[in-house]
Amino acid sequence: MQQLLNGLSIGSIYALFAIGFTLVFGILDRLNLAHPAVFAAGALVGIELVDAAGLSVWLALPAVAVVGGLLGLVVERVAFRPLRDRPDAHFAGLIASIAMGGMLVALLQWRYGPDTRRFPAGAFPEQGYELLGARITLLQVVILAISVLLMVGLTLLVARSGLGRSMRAVAENPTAARVVGVDVERVTATTFAISAALGAVAGALFAMNVNSAQLGMGAAIELKGLAVIVVGGMGSLPGALVGGLLLGLAEVFAVQYVGSSWRDLVAFGLLFLLLVVRPQGLFGRARVREV
Amino acid sequence: MSAALLSVTDLQVSYGRVRAVRGVSLDVPAGGLVTLVGANGAGKSSVINAVSGVLRPSGGRVLLDGRDVTGIRAHRLVRAGLVQVPEGRQVLATLTVAENLLVGGRRDPARLAEVYDRFPVLAERRHLPAGSLSGGEQQMLAIGRALVTRPRIVLLDEPSMGLAPKVVDEVFAVVEEIRAEGVAVLLVEQNARRALRAADHGYVLAGGQVVQEGPAAALLADEGVAAAYLGVSDARPPSPGRPGRTSGGP
Amino acid sequence: MLGESTIVFVALAGLFAYSFYAVLVAGQLSLGQAGFAALAAYASATLAPDPDAVGDGAALAVALVVGVVVGAVAAVVLGLPTMHLRGVFLAIATLGFAEAVRIVLLNADWSGGPQGLSVPKILEPWTAWAVLAAVAYAFWRQAPSRYGRALAAIREDELAARSTGIDVGRHRLAAFVTAGGVAGAYGVLWAYFVRLVVPSDFGFSTAIDGLVTAFVGGSTVWLGPVLGGAFLTAVPEAQRALGIEAGWVRPFLAGLLLLVVILFRPGGLASLVPRRRPRLAGAPDDGPAAAPAPETRAPAGVVASLRGVTKDYGGVHAVRGVDLELHAGEVVGLIGPNGAGKTTLVNMLCGHVPPSAGRIDVLGVDPARTPVHRVAAAGVARTFQQTRLFGRLTALENVLVGAHLTSRPTFLRRLLWLPSARRDERAALAHAGRCLERVGLGSAARTDAGALSYGDQRRLEIARALAAGPTLLVLDEPAAGMNAVEADALSTLISSLAADGLAVLLIEHDVGLVMRTCDRVVVLDFGTVLTAGPPEEVRRDARVVAAYLGAEDADDEHVTGEEAR
Repeated sequence: MQQLLNGLSIGSIYALFAIGFTLVFGILDRLNLAHPAVFAAGALVGIELVDAAGLSVWLALPAVAVVGGLLGLVVERVAFRPLRDRPDAHFAGLIASIAMGGMLVALLQWRYGPDTRRFPAGAFPEQGYELLGARITLLQVVILAISVLLMVGLTLLVARSGLGRSMRAVAENPTAARVVGVDVERVTATTFAISAALGAVAGALFAMNVNSAQLGMGAAIELKGLAVIVVGGMGSLPGALVGGLLLGLAEVFAVQYVGSSWRDLVAFGLLFLLLVVRPQGLFGRARVREV
Repeated sequence: MSAALLSVTDLQVSYGRVRAVRGVSLDVPAGGLVTLVGANGAGKSSVINAVSGVLRPSGGRVLLDGRDVTGIRAHRLVRAGLVQVPEGRQVLATLTVAENLLVGGRRDPARLAEVYDRFPVLAERRHLPAGSLSGGEQQMLAIGRALVTRPRIVLLDEPSMGLAPKVVDEVFAVVEEIRAEGVAVLLVEQNARRALRAADHGYVLAGGQVVQEGPAAALLADEGVAAAYLGVSDARPPSPGRPGRTSGGP
Repeated sequence: MLGESTIVFVALAGLFAYSFYAVLVAGQLSLGQAGFAALAAYASATLAPDPDAVGDGAALAVALVVGVVVGAVAAVVLGLPTMHLRGVFLAIATLGFAEAVRIVLLNADWSGGPQGLSVPKILEPWTAWAVLAAVAYAFWRQAPSRYGRALAAIREDELAARSTGIDVGRHRLAAFVTAGGVAGAYGVLWAYFVRLVVPSDFGFSTAIDGLVTAFVGGSTVWLGPVLGGAFLTAVPEAQRALGIEAGWVRPFLAGLLLLVVILFRPGGLASLVPRRRPRLAGAPDDGPAAAPAPETRAPAGVVASLRGVTKDYGGVHAVRGVDLELHAGEVVGLIGPNGAGKTTLVNMLCGHVPPSAGRIDVLGVDPARTPVHRVAAAGVARTFQQTRLFGRLTALENVLVGAHLTSRPTFLRRLLWLPSARRDERAALAHAGRCLERVGLGSAARTDAGALSYGDQRRLEIARALAAGPTLLVLDEPAAGMNAVEADALSTLISSLAADGLAVLLIEHDVGLVMRTCDRVVVLDFGTVLTAGPPEEVRRDARVVAAYLGAEDADDEHVTGEEAR
């Protein structure tokens, strides 16, 4: 039971992070590899806001979301939009996003230095509860709640709102969307902003969960995020959700039964299995995408 | 000063080095039905896409009610009252019928209700994915989607393509109704006879240029139109005979 | 300023970049090379003999061999299950593999864990450069060979490559194995230079670095990886020389530089170097009259037969019950309104799509059960409705790829500079030149296919199809975008091809062209054959007129294909 809760908790963060990848992939068919850098940025900025500006942790989160959103807009404008019509567009966009990610991490290093940063003492509640024989901290509950809320909110946005309709339209057929009056450029930029905002919040939550943040955290989670979206299905929101939770649970149980050093291997085992057996993932549609 | 709602002057469209449209001019009066016919590859769809803002023209001017809208992007033209029903319908298959009608453009509940009245089958299938509709129903959906935006002019690109003739009858009946309500229509069609029967005025396109224009009835009776479609005129010398020709049936 | 280690690192960076180049040249984004390198490094560190016993040189040589073999085998292990993956999926799968390898090595007992294994110092700096030079040489010789061109074709347009007879699966695997071997060499040399084999040297960031190096250098030209390696190693050196401290500035500038290269110089640094493209030696032939007829591979007679062929997509009948026969020396036109099923029919004929019902026989092969490249090998060549050329290859190179099946492999002989390879290449070039002349593109031989006008591109596609010496030539709307003069020339060309014994199936909307050129015309409407016969008859058939121009009267009964028979 304890493991279950731990797994869900970390899994929800994985899911929140992976959703960023999947949103962009769904709309543009591109992988945005600057996303992990935004994840790290969210964590570090969050810590700074709490530490230096004295903001409460819970207020810092929306601020982090805003910062993430702005970063997303920049990445879209610089690394993806100019490359849209090139013949090697997929490669080029991927590498451009890698470049931007690298630049962002360098900037983070400039501002925050290379050392691990932590939240100041007392920044968040320490108390824990007993639930069905397992111990869970208030923090974990809140993280889980926030992640779930954000994901539910996003799902509602995509399924019910005008913007969500436009996003789905562009994801399915940008030309048809344009014909009907959708401002494709604006929708794409907004999608990027939302994806980055979620990624940044995921970073802040992650940092809260382990009470530390360092420059390399993006890289560490990057592959797991990729594994999640492949397992869940590229471009599928519920897939990212389920995939993330699945990964979190699988990791936690693997640590318990196989040993912690092999924990990261779980992601790739799942990834490989799925890619070979069912490349479109659990929820994805079988579409062939050429590079 | 022309009374034309839509006035296109010397339109040019290029794809890289290919000049698909080489100077096309046409007018659509308010409430009128004008058709653009011509063989495949003549440039009809390029004209429509350039006028509706999906493509950027490389030359020429487009005036909507006197206002220069050349090169303005599609989503803004939709708000100005010009909307396209694209070739092949292009409905968004994974979205429901209702969502297709609501996507983009202006969402006017009264107008939506009107569309449901006009196309009862859409009302029935409101919450089903658009991809589950038949070809004809999808065409109705595409037209309904355009009507929801309260257009002053609708650009119809090959509405009969891939549809059985009976369904084509229904589509053209709808086009008539729309026209009767005062919405101008610019119709691009491969099925020239059908289009010319429905229209007031017609333009015949070949090789990216207008080769003939006039009242639709006159074009309908004209031999030259048939020639433009079935290709070579009788003035061409026949090709030299080839030895060993087999001319059996399939 | 250029210390010894810098020089070696440049060579190693270039070598690693070559392992990416090996797959990028075929258009595959594989990122597993770090994993291959790691496995090779560990294997050779464990298995190589003690240099004290056999001498430095021998030990290193054995280590290299072990590394290359291990790398290649690892590549096969990764390449086979991922064979059907493309693009992003392949990238993620291979990246995952590399990470998995790293984690395993990090945690296994025999690998020494995070401390790794230590390795004796037996590497001279010149060795790294020697290996790099050898690899660069091999890729230099590969590029203009038949194999190298096939890889480039797969990168540019995989479907078109298949239809010229290239076995894509085999070539992809070969590229993978090459990458594995080169990565293995890199792993070994790195280990022996750094004298330590640790998992962290072969991690995610290493993989990304290798990709970036390959890309910045230029992923389509053999010189690219060397330039990339030199450049990216030089950048930190330059920064150091300029007094820019380590820390955040260097990675920032590196990222900025990369971004600039991607945005403004998509071909990488190598695009700044003028390229030698294959050219025709001497003057081209005197003209089409001097061109020998393409070899026909089947006796005159029935070249293809379709019986009762049907294709359904969901509830839509794209093609219904079509019977058709094609004979050598005959030009058959296939016409019909948009959506009538013409291209679907042709796709079934060429093996891209299996029919839902019915039998097809093409030159003794059942295309429903045969991969596309084997249908091509049987003697079928085609052009496509949307032009599918190899855009970044020249017109001449495009046609050379078209002759893939009829030319002999030259790569291995080129490595040894054997004169027979040169002879074969020259013969292939002459043949390609003749095909270009035949369609009137002789003067455009050295232009990139992507830079040609649309009409020229259509003609180039035909030249490429001709290069294979086909028995059945399928042309899908070849005259699209041509003016009257060009269409006339096309008509003459098609007639002369038929006179040479080819069977030609021509889909066209230019009905005039069809009527002028074809012996027989088949009209398709709503997936069924409306009528078929000599052009004059078909032209006057009222049903054909109705199908194209529209019904005479709104009250007419629809004339179905069945009623028409």
